[in-house]
Amino acid sequence: MQNDKNKILQVKDLKTYFFTENGIVKAVDGVNFEVYQGETLGLVGESGCGKSITAFSIMRLLDYPGKTVGGQILFKSEDLLVKNEKQMRQIRGKDISMIFQEPMTSLNPVLTIGFQITEALEVHFKMEKTKARKRAIELLERVGIPIPEQRIYEYPHQLSGGMRQRAMIAMALSCDPVLLIADEPTTSLDVTIQAQILELMKLLLEQFSSSMIMITHDLGVIAEIADRIAVMYAGKIVEYADTRSIFYSPLHPYTFGLLTSIPRLDMDIEKLESIPGIVPDPLHFPEGCKFHPRCVFATEKCRKEEPPLAEIKKNHSVRCWHIEKVEQEAKKISFTGRLTTDG
Amino acid sequence: MLSYIIRRLLILPIILLGVSFLIFCLFSLLSPMERLATYVNNPSVLKNPQAAQNLIAKYHLDDPFPTGYFYWLKSLLRLDFGWSPTANQPVWDAIMQRLPATMELVLYSIIPVIIVGIWLGVISAVHHNDLADQVIRVTAIIGWSLPTFIFGLLVLFIFYGILGWLPPGRLSTWAQYIVYTGDSFNNYTHFITIDALLNKRLDIFWDALKHLIGPIITLSYISWAYLLRITRSSMLDTLRKDYIRTARAKGVDERTVIYLHARKNAMIPVITVAGMMIIGMLGGVVITETVFTYPGLGYWAASSAQQLDYGSVIGFALLFAFIMVVGNLVVDVSYALIDPRVRLE
Amino acid sequence: MNRIIRKLFSNTTSLIGLILLFIFVIIAIFAPYIAPPLFASDPYQIPRMSWDVQPQPPGFPISDDIRLIYDSLGQPIIRETAIFGTAQGGYDIFYGLIWGTRTAFRIGIITVTLSMFIGVVGGSIAAYFGGWIDELLMRITDIFLSIPFLVAAMVLTTILGRGLDKVMIALVAFGWMGYARVIRGSILCVKEEVYINAARALGVKDFNIIVRHLLPNTIFPVMVQASMNIGSMVITAAALSFLGVGAPLGYADWGQMVSFARNWIVGSPGNAGEYWYAVFFPAIFIVLFVLAWNLVGDTLRDILDPRLRGEL
Repeated sequence: MQNDKNKILQVKDLKTYFFTENGIVKAVDGVNFEVYQGETLGLVGESGCGKSITAFSIMRLLDYPGKTVGGQILFKSEDLLVKNEKQMRQIRGKDISMIFQEPMTSLNPVLTIGFQITEALEVHFKMEKTKARKRAIELLERVGIPIPEQRIYEYPHQLSGGMRQRAMIAMALSCDPVLLIADEPTTSLDVTIQAQILELMKLLLEQFSSSMIMITHDLGVIAEIADRIAVMYAGKIVEYADTRSIFYSPLHPYTFGLLTSIPRLDMDIEKLESIPGIVPDPLHFPEGCKFHPRCVFATEKCRKEEPPLAEIKKNHSVRCWHIEKVEQEAKKISFTGRLTTDG
Repeated sequence: MLSYIIRRLLILPIILLGVSFLIFCLFSLLSPMERLATYVNNPSVLKNPQAAQNLIAKYHLDDPFPTGYFYWLKSLLRLDFGWSPTANQPVWDAIMQRLPATMELVLYSIIPVIIVGIWLGVISAVHHNDLADQVIRVTAIIGWSLPTFIFGLLVLFIFYGILGWLPPGRLSTWAQYIVYTGDSFNNYTHFITIDALLNKRLDIFWDALKHLIGPIITLSYISWAYLLRITRSSMLDTLRKDYIRTARAKGVDERTVIYLHARKNAMIPVITVAGMMIIGMLGGVVITETVFTYPGLGYWAASSAQQLDYGSVIGFALLFAFIMVVGNLVVDVSYALIDPRVRLE
Repeated sequence: MNRIIRKLFSNTTSLIGLILLFIFVIIAIFAPYIAPPLFASDPYQIPRMSWDVQPQPPGFPISDDIRLIYDSLGQPIIRETAIFGTAQGGYDIFYGLIWGTRTAFRIGIITVTLSMFIGVVGGSIAAYFGGWIDELLMRITDIFLSIPFLVAAMVLTTILGRGLDKVMIALVAFGWMGYARVIRGSILCVKEEVYINAARALGVKDFNIIVRHLLPNTIFPVMVQASMNIGSMVITAAALSFLGVGAPLGYADWGQMVSFARNWIVGSPGNAGEYWYAVFFPAIFIVLFVLAWNLVGDTLRDILDPRLRGEL
């Protein structure tokens, strides 16, 4: 149920720029979205579109030379961007947690798994050691790691890839966060393990009643787990709707291109079309609509004016001048089955 | 890890053998007559050609290479390193007599090397490109460029020549009298500073310390300058790693991130280098002791080299090599102990 | 390559280093004009300005007995006074330092080139062929590394005798190991790259693979190390001379000039800095020379660090 009472995160006009030697990179340029209680928002796009930077901006973990230069990030009605470092530290790991792509490099190789989990508990709740250790064992059990009481004394390199990611999840959930941000959590895992991890995450989110922002370039993953989706391109959101609408009635040429460029069991496509061209150079974005050089529907207007993100249908926003063309193309494709077992 | 240690222990004798062989090769570049000089304590014996020939045969100095090496090695294992004309005693005795002085110097020098090198290295990395970092880096580069002997002369010049605070040598004359001749002073360890404390002679303690400061500063300078650079780059590397980001994402405060999460990892390569550096100070000891006329192994090494005392030169080469090889082993093993990835193989 | 050169010139520290090096090169090239030798056949022998044991301050005029020697040889007197003073034994410091620049360059470049060559050959053979060859060569490297560099050089020069060539032999004999290790490490990383296997599959001979494919891609860290080692080779040679086992007496070598000053560093009673010039001038030359190479080498290392290259 989406209403203002249930909104836990509101990102308004977020702008994060990188001030490099060679020029300013507008990695995130005016991004707006909301996350509601108990739901998962998917942030989708190719590498370099700004999705990870958005996540780092929310956590305020940007590396030099990046800086958030504008906008608001309202978490529980408070703007995170005006908080000082001490206040942010109290939020990180406790109210908002993050898991990262590479569990091998994201876990400290010289500290035990147990320590890395109990650390958050000790930092945020000043929990004393035995209690924290018990909780760590509990968490490892819940994420499906066998013999957890032994595992807490082990080091990351002694665990398999899938188990490491489970441990990361345990670490992130240890303090019962309201919001979990997952940055490509399954990308570096085997496909079978991927499915397991996604199932686990869905289960845990329900149990912990947390919300999640899932960042990925993999449409299959997003279909599995996201309730709503924001598609990003060149630092801006180009389409923003619930999952069904994105997959069955996409309105932006980029979204449409993404969907038809992967093989799908539920779509009857003669030929896979890849999107022509490549992701633009962040130092030299095109004029007008950022996608127009690769867009088959582009017109003169697209070359000159950048379209705003407009709410076309209820809860479905698109940033494009010619959505009717996409609608037409989409109608041509017949859907032969269901997207997921849930439909 | 156990197999790793065992492997290293097995290689140890091979390396030692190899080093002794290398040194023997160098030694053999001399003619048998020249080498004979190291075996006799009375040079006039050599004047008689017949006697000389007998001795050459007795010590197998003219034998084919492998046999010569065998007998030479045998005498080494008996701790018979020959005779030192410059010290007027057997080489081994000369070594043993001077070893404590050098050890005292080296052990005290380790402290500034570790503290300043590592501690400043971490600070330098954390304040990457700040003023503090730039200053530290420049000091380190200058240290790297100042040869030990020039730096030592500078220290001597300023602190002794101009200020008169730190005299050369090991003890002032009055203290020497007490330590070496009097009955009241017991030389338990031959480490004068420790012995002075044990004998409750604070005045001798301070005197010894005063003489040590100059050499310590000189000996440690290049080492800590190098260690600082290594620590700095290792720390910079580590701070860029993903798991540091994870720690911050957990809400851990920056101090803990740096000193627990980052430093523990950054120290792994640094410890091995630190170990090497300390062992490498053996080379620096020669120059430092010479500059400050500190009567240790290094000083004797330099003067015996100057006077072509081959036996002594070979003797301390063997000793230093031995210390280096064993030291390397210790460093390697401690590396295995520190890094859990190696420890839990 | 151009990018590297450009970066070297734009960075302040390396620019200073390059300027210093340039100055030294000029001094070395024009040594015969700046400090014309007394004996044309042996320009490295430092001429004396007097027979005094004590060092004499800058501006010291040439003594009469020396004048007589010049006259009897029919040589014109080029310098009336010792610009930097004289060292122990009356040796002209200025002359020693100018010609010492040539000595420094000779030592630095020759020893580094030779030891680099030996190290690279040994290291690449070890890395490429692996197996027992690698084990053997690496053990040999370990053995050589077991003797502290200065000590090993001392042993060799004591046995071989004094002389610059002996010093260089000693430096090369114990200076190649670092390069061997570095190139071996680089090659081991690159060895399994696809293009190497492709070359092998095409039947390219091992030697060609090493020389044409592996080395060009792995040689850069070695070059960085080499540039930094030029400085340290000169320092070690100077240290050997300082200890009295390096260059022969009177030879124009910076280390020897410092060794001349050793006994006079504390001056005479009541005048501590009396003989400052005997140490100061040689020390400045040595320090600036080594500093120059280190500045360039340090910047070179920063430039070639692939991680820093990728940074914005």
